[in-house]
Amino acid sequence: MIRLIAVVVALAVALPAAAEVRVAATTTSMAMLARTVGGEAVAVTTMAPPDRDAHYLQAKPSMIRALRRADLVVAVGAELEVGWLPAAIRNAANPAIRPGQEGYFEAAAQVELTGTYQRADRAMGDVHPSGDPHVNLDPVRMAKVAEALAARLAQLEPAAADAFRRRAAEFGKQVEQRLPGWQERVSDSPGVVAFHKDINYLMHRLEVPIRGYLEPKPGIAPSASHLKGLIGDLKARATGVILRHPYHPPAPVRKVAEATGWRTAAIPLDPELGADAQAYFALIEAYVAAIAGER
Amino acid sequence: MPRIAMTLGAALALIAGGPAWGQSAPYLGANAGGASSAEVTSGNRFNPDISLILEGNAYYDDADGEGDDLVGMAEGINHAHGGDDHGHAHGGEAPGLNLKPTELFFSASVDPYFDAFVQAVINDDGGVDLEEAYFTTRALPAGLRVKGGKFLSGIGYHNEKHRHQWQFIEQNLPYQHLLGAHGLMDTGVQLTWTPATPFYTRFGVEALQGDQAVVGRFDGEEALESEVPDNVVDRFGEPKQGPRLFTAFAKAAPNLGYSHELQAGVFGVFASDQQELHTEPADHILTGQYWLAGTDWVYAYDAPHQYGKGDIKLQAEYLYAVKDLEVAYHGANAAAVGDRREFTQDGFYLQGRYGFAANWRVGARYDMVGLTNDKAVGTTGMAADYDASSRVAANLTWTPTHFSRIQAQWSRAAIATADGDDTANQYYLRYVLSMGQHGAHDF
Repeated sequence: MIRLIAVVVALAVALPAAAEVRVAATTTSMAMLARTVGGEAVAVTTMAPPDRDAHYLQAKPSMIRALRRADLVVAVGAELEVGWLPAAIRNAANPAIRPGQEGYFEAAAQVELTGTYQRADRAMGDVHPSGDPHVNLDPVRMAKVAEALAARLAQLEPAAADAFRRRAAEFGKQVEQRLPGWQERVSDSPGVVAFHKDINYLMHRLEVPIRGYLEPKPGIAPSASHLKGLIGDLKARATGVILRHPYHPPAPVRKVAEATGWRTAAIPLDPELGADAQAYFALIEAYVAAIAGER
Repeated sequence: MPRIAMTLGAALALIAGGPAWGQSAPYLGANAGGASSAEVTSGNRFNPDISLILEGNAYYDDADGEGDDLVGMAEGINHAHGGDDHGHAHGGEAPGLNLKPTELFFSASVDPYFDAFVQAVINDDGGVDLEEAYFTTRALPAGLRVKGGKFLSGIGYHNEKHRHQWQFIEQNLPYQHLLGAHGLMDTGVQLTWTPATPFYTRFGVEALQGDQAVVGRFDGEEALESEVPDNVVDRFGEPKQGPRLFTAFAKAAPNLGYSHELQAGVFGVFASDQQELHTEPADHILTGQYWLAGTDWVYAYDAPHQYGKGDIKLQAEYLYAVKDLEVAYHGANAAAVGDRREFTQDGFYLQGRYGFAANWRVGARYDMVGLTNDKAVGTTGMAADYDASSRVAANLTWTPTHFSRIQAQWSRAAIATADGDDTANQYYLRYVLSMGQHGAHDF
């Protein structure tokens, strides 16, 4: 009996021993980065699809399965995934990917965050006291994260270290080339309204002002009185665009748009499943085009 | 036993090797050099995560305020004629305004090898109960994890959920009558194995002390003393050495993509030392074993909408319990000693919820015990067949945020008691509020 158990355990340990680094990414943005930097040396699974809000997921068995077999977790971090990732990691029984280990990587920990709160009080809504975690839409920060991720992957797979660094640098170069054009196209924008406070880094990078939010406080569903106030504010301004993600309810957005004449656009927060760098840049393009009123 | 497990866990952790401390996130203020007289301290950053859950309700029923007691009196193998009643040991709701126990959670990593977790509840009279206090290992290889201390058993699906996570206010009937008001909560040690299989599986075994009100119930000296002679108390007053309660469970979840999640499980419980004092027709003590088998099924649909809109969750569990006992002492009929008494009872619940609008959901539950509800007496051939009890419930829940919940619930219980069938309609308005670093919930 004991011998049988030993054989089964040995098989289970040997099973995941493949040549590549197994990466479990929380969002499709993080998966895109891991794929872009890791190339063929990594196998990436994504735990949260782009049509779900990563704030509100549950630690599901499928996530635990991905984490159990992972060599590296690539998370957005700064408590974005606090509702499910810690529980999933705890239940995955995989010591290599615990926070603090080589197998745990948070994008938000690699770059400077804005929107840090001196005071953490849930009366202010679902705030992230350590700073705005939504770094994924800022291409410049993502380039920096790519460099850090290349260094981390190099620790796990030293043989491919040069390739990781080269691909991260290539990603950064593409961002550098595209950014001025994007900024140019939106330079006349009177501003945007966001549904949730999660596109701030991109708007700051594009130098587009944010004129308001559909949510009265982060994570609090839009209320009639808040929308009324927002409509009043927006009427006094030149018309811009209201941005929501497809999983946000369209009704309040339509209401504000109809009352103010602002345009609307529904653009995902993260690229599609299996996205590569080009798909990520196409997502940024979609934001730029919507803000510039090109469609 | 827990001590042995702890030593074993530590030894395994050491064998597993010290974790390679990787490069961690840049330390905040690492470059805050310069000459200064400031003290460098981590302050309270090693404090455990703390959260606090408040729960209360307004309650009314059409049974003179005794609706909850009625549910506890459902006839069955753990509430047999003449048996000591443990069914409604947990005080029910009083008509009017009730404060439920306030849950207090602490959790933290102890060191690279252990995490620890404590849950205490403060009752409305100020009394404190320690519900859970356990460690789990962090560094065991091969998907193994040891848990030790006092904890909610990993059997079934509903068992590990804390009261504030319960979708319905009351414990479901099969759990209440076949496991206990809290489910199975005991002191012991658990080993789980999460293999690196292509789809999710998890296996676990537990050895528990066996100090329970229902499974592994042991009436013991105090209960015996008032009813039976001293020499009988001396013979039957002490339980066997622990652990006396053993469980095993397995769960599996196929890969169904991002929108659907299905988890199925089977579990078994075995109590090696069950003792019951029955007082009718005459005092007699029954001793023997209790075993229980069950299966749990959960399906969840995660809709691509915000604030829970469109989400569906269905769950069902079936429990089958057998008490295999012998008459150890009989006050009126010494010849009955050694006679066999076999009790069998089962039950199930089926519940679902649906997010019909942002932050709003409706739920419904049907729970029952006693599809099988028998007592068989060895030599005499005498037998009893108890009636089944059931309940339907529906609720409406508003969750303004992750951290607060207001719930209205209606339940209608149809209970078979020793004095005949009875029904009660129960109405609740419940709030659940959570404060602090409330950790992520498991599936």
